[in-house]
Amino acid sequence: MIISDIISLDRTQCSVECYSKKRIFEVITEIALKQNPRLNQDEVLSSLINREKLGSTGIGNGIAIPHGRIKGLEHIMAVIVTSDEPIEFDAIDGKPVDIFFAILVPNDEADTHLKALAGIARKLSDKEIVKAIRSAENKKEIVAALA
Amino acid sequence: MAQANQIHRSLTIINKLGLHARAATKLVQLANQFDAEIMLTQGENSAPANSVLALMMLESGQGKTVDVHCSGDDATAAMDAITELIQNKFDESE
Repeated sequence: MIISDIISLDRTQCSVECYSKKRIFEVITEIALKQNPRLNQDEVLSSLINREKLGSTGIGNGIAIPHGRIKGLEHIMAVIVTSDEPIEFDAIDGKPVDIFFAILVPNDEADTHLKALAGIARKLSDKEIVKAIRSAENKKEIVAALA
Repeated sequence: MAQANQIHRSLTIINKLGLHARAATKLVQLANQFDAEIMLTQGENSAPANSVLALMMLESGQGKTVDVHCSGDDATAAMDAITELIQNKFDESE
């Protein structure tokens, strides 16, 4: 899985002013919908929220990977958002989160899903990349850091 | 000094979604309850069981075999707990 295939400048947003978990899911949903109007807003939002209810996607070090399975989605798509201030996210290490690497995945594609997670993990386990995302001043710099 | 307890076991991932984010997170939370050092190996890749990112990089899908290595005083208890989690499909329904 090449990460650049699933990320896009249009689905990336830098330094969003956001103070709650719920709001960040709304922001992610808005971005996804703008790029893919065929998506259903309620379905996307509830898939993200319902997944989160099963356990936080805050994987530590200020990073979260919210995700949802969407029926009928043709390709996996990522939405990347950084927040102005870190948000309380019940992460595994208790630290608040400011990097949200969200993915929407087609239903019933376990292998694709695992490949995408592995690809994202390879990027986000690189401290230099994470530093660059965090210090990015605009979405171009975020996408460049992940390229 | 007595040598630290070291054990190894091969386990097959049987849940449908494999070692995805939630499963990896559960594994990390479980591993963190033990002092033992725990490593998972699949093929040429290894991951410490206390890192969600490292575990996701293993890309362990359904049917894959992972070698679990535990070392430390509570290695046996850690191994048993991890075995149970994987065999219980990470508490997932399929």
